[in-house]
Amino acid sequence: MEENRNDYHISFFKPTTPRALANRNMVIWLVSIWVVAIFGFQIALRLLEKPTPEAAYKSFESSWPSVKSNTANQEELKDFAGATLSVLGKVFIDAGDKAVLDNAFNRAVYQILDEGQKEALIPEIKNFEALKAEIKVVTEPDYVKAKKELMTKAAPLLGIPENNVLRDILPLELNTAEMNTVRPETMKQLPGIMEKYLVHNQSVLTNFKFLGFPFHYFYTAVLLLILFVFLCWLYCISADRLNKKFDISD
Amino acid sequence: MKKAILLFTGLTSTHLLQAATAATELEGSFKIGPAIILIAILLTFILVGIYFRAKDTTDYYAAGRGISKVGSGMAIASNWMSAASFLGMAALMYGYGYHGLAYVVGWTGGYVLLLILMAGQIRKYGKYTAADFIGDRYYSRALRALGAVIAILISIAYCVGQFGGIGLMFKWIMGIDYALAVIIGGAVVLTYTLISGMLGVTKNMQIQYVIIIISFLIPLFILTYKFDYFWLIPQIGYGSAVSDIVSGIPLAETQQLYNSLGHHFAIAPSPEYAMPWDTASGQSFFQWIAIAFSLMIGTAGLPHVIQRFYVVPKARDARWSVVWGLFFICILYWSAPAYSAFGKILSANPEVGKLAKDAIVVYTAQLGNVNPLIVGLLAAGGVSAAFSTVSGLLVAGSSAFAHDLYVKSFRPDSSPRRQLLVARIGTVIMAIIVTLLALPQWALIGQLVAIAFSLAGCTIFPLFLLGIWWSGSNRQGAVAGVIVGLLVSAVSLTYSLVGDSLPYYDFVSYWLGAWYFAWIGAPLAIIANIIVSKLTTPTPLEIRKFLIENVHS
Repeated sequence: MEENRNDYHISFFKPTTPRALANRNMVIWLVSIWVVAIFGFQIALRLLEKPTPEAAYKSFESSWPSVKSNTANQEELKDFAGATLSVLGKVFIDAGDKAVLDNAFNRAVYQILDEGQKEALIPEIKNFEALKAEIKVVTEPDYVKAKKELMTKAAPLLGIPENNVLRDILPLELNTAEMNTVRPETMKQLPGIMEKYLVHNQSVLTNFKFLGFPFHYFYTAVLLLILFVFLCWLYCISADRLNKKFDISD
Repeated sequence: MKKAILLFTGLTSTHLLQAATAATELEGSFKIGPAIILIAILLTFILVGIYFRAKDTTDYYAAGRGISKVGSGMAIASNWMSAASFLGMAALMYGYGYHGLAYVVGWTGGYVLLLILMAGQIRKYGKYTAADFIGDRYYSRALRALGAVIAILISIAYCVGQFGGIGLMFKWIMGIDYALAVIIGGAVVLTYTLISGMLGVTKNMQIQYVIIIISFLIPLFILTYKFDYFWLIPQIGYGSAVSDIVSGIPLAETQQLYNSLGHHFAIAPSPEYAMPWDTASGQSFFQWIAIAFSLMIGTAGLPHVIQRFYVVPKARDARWSVVWGLFFICILYWSAPAYSAFGKILSANPEVGKLAKDAIVVYTAQLGNVNPLIVGLLAAGGVSAAFSTVSGLLVAGSSAFAHDLYVKSFRPDSSPRRQLLVARIGTVIMAIIVTLLALPQWALIGQLVAIAFSLAGCTIFPLFLLGIWWSGSNRQGAVAGVIVGLLVSAVSLTYSLVGDSLPYYDFVSYWLGAWYFAWIGAPLAIIANIIVSKLTTPTPLEIRKFLIENVHS
């Protein structure tokens, strides 16, 4: 006798018993909540976001045309150097991008300094470079002292205020080998690199703070996980109730 | 004997005290305190393993089906909380910012799918291994063998990342070369798995969970307190650190706090750390979604995870063990992002240099001037996390090798003693292969593990999903689905390994990335399974009856 496909047939979408029907409806509800909670929120983030530049990018945008045409004044060069140093201060930068930024920043520093300042500062930078190459640990007193002295002298020349964290970074990014000339690829690649690191996708969901977090971060890193545990708990409670209702034993 | 113990205790205490006062070094030297803690923990694992060692094949494969739901939940969590969770998760967020949260969501959200679609039904089906289920449900010895091979491949892919984590932690503790550290760590985890088997593993997993979570949380409380955030609940307290990273911490606000290298707790504004799919991370919206989705369906298709449902007495226990397991897992997953946030601030100064991202959890504690012994406990916790997962994976892989390939496909008449021997030989072979593959550091631990998830999502997940919920899925459909899943996997992995010499490299490597190819592979495998099943002879009546009467009744 030929077997009928419909004999003893199980299909999630075509339940044949009241228990299976109730289970299917419960699963559909839970999966729908799960999908909307995870992917719906990320889609909402995507739809609401706007490219938002950091303050450093605005400084870069205003100074870049003059720097590019080699007509920048001292203030524009300082803005430009500060903006590139902001990117160099970020924890992760692609090695190729860093090379471009190093060149742009150091060339700008060189242009900012007058002849007297160059005579005073460049030998000191060279000394620090030599010391940096020699040390085994960054806590060596001579190195720490030289770094602090260089920072104290160079930061005011670039207009970096006392409280700014870029002061700490400044001595480490000064590089005499990059000061003499600006490479063509630097001019070509720099705008894209600055945009890459200084323009971010932000919206009301990222700007609103909740328990100290940016809201979107709290939602994804904390709240979604709470929801997952809750959904699992809810399913187990509901499955136990369904089994009791339909007198089904495991 | 007592004298020897007293001498050992005395020496240990002296060394621990010396270590506690020693200056923190990020890398390089042998660290006596952490080494003693690690050895003590490993000895505990082995003793527990010996005490609860497997006595026969039922014990070896399924722990005698006598584990409670809370115990099983702890074992699920311990089994799950691998080096990828303990070390890799923070590494991904440290390196890729918000993109790393796709892994957090993917590795937890999948449990919802696993629970509501599979857990109870898998237990009711009543088999030992994933390949057992596939072979029986699809009435095919060839598919059972193929399922076993896939399970072994998944276990190997998963283990590679774990061995990488073990290597990094052994390297950090012992101050030795990475390659040597991988070999030593691999040998230790292999010995432990061989001695204990799964009964020992399950008992050990409960102990490991406690060690893992305590070692992870203690430094976090200390760091949150040092940073002056809300330290009573660091999983909430670090939120202010995320906001501070976005807006930057000026020098004046660091309150004279310094990391272990003497740098301020200051950072330049870095919105790229928290903003979604930031261009600086090099990752897109599509990749976020694809990774989260692939990891979630991969979770529901991993043989060593599925296998945990065979060790509880009833289907109800299988369901509740998922709830407990997920809760225990989430305690760690709520905490991991905090390490990346603190690590970001503490390593903000360029002088810190380029740190191995996969060890950022340990480096963060070091840079935060946490007591070296507590940092040692943290590193030992990382090793425990990798050990608990590797032992589960090696058991799942060796089960597939001995039970599904050797016994079911070649020698059905072999004695239980011989089966156990073959399982142990399989474990050794797998451990050697994994050690060799872990020597070159291909990618971040989390990314390596994600390959196993995508492979499981493309192959095992469709077979279980359709096998449980649609009796119309037949052998031919299953074969078609597996072939499609394997093809997608092969294309993705080939492009990933060979590189840009292949045509359309940019297109394929973006849309079929090695960490997330299941986003398309799984749906295609399901569609192929359905179409071919519809066009071929129906599933035999006895299978359909079994599904109705045993699995869904």
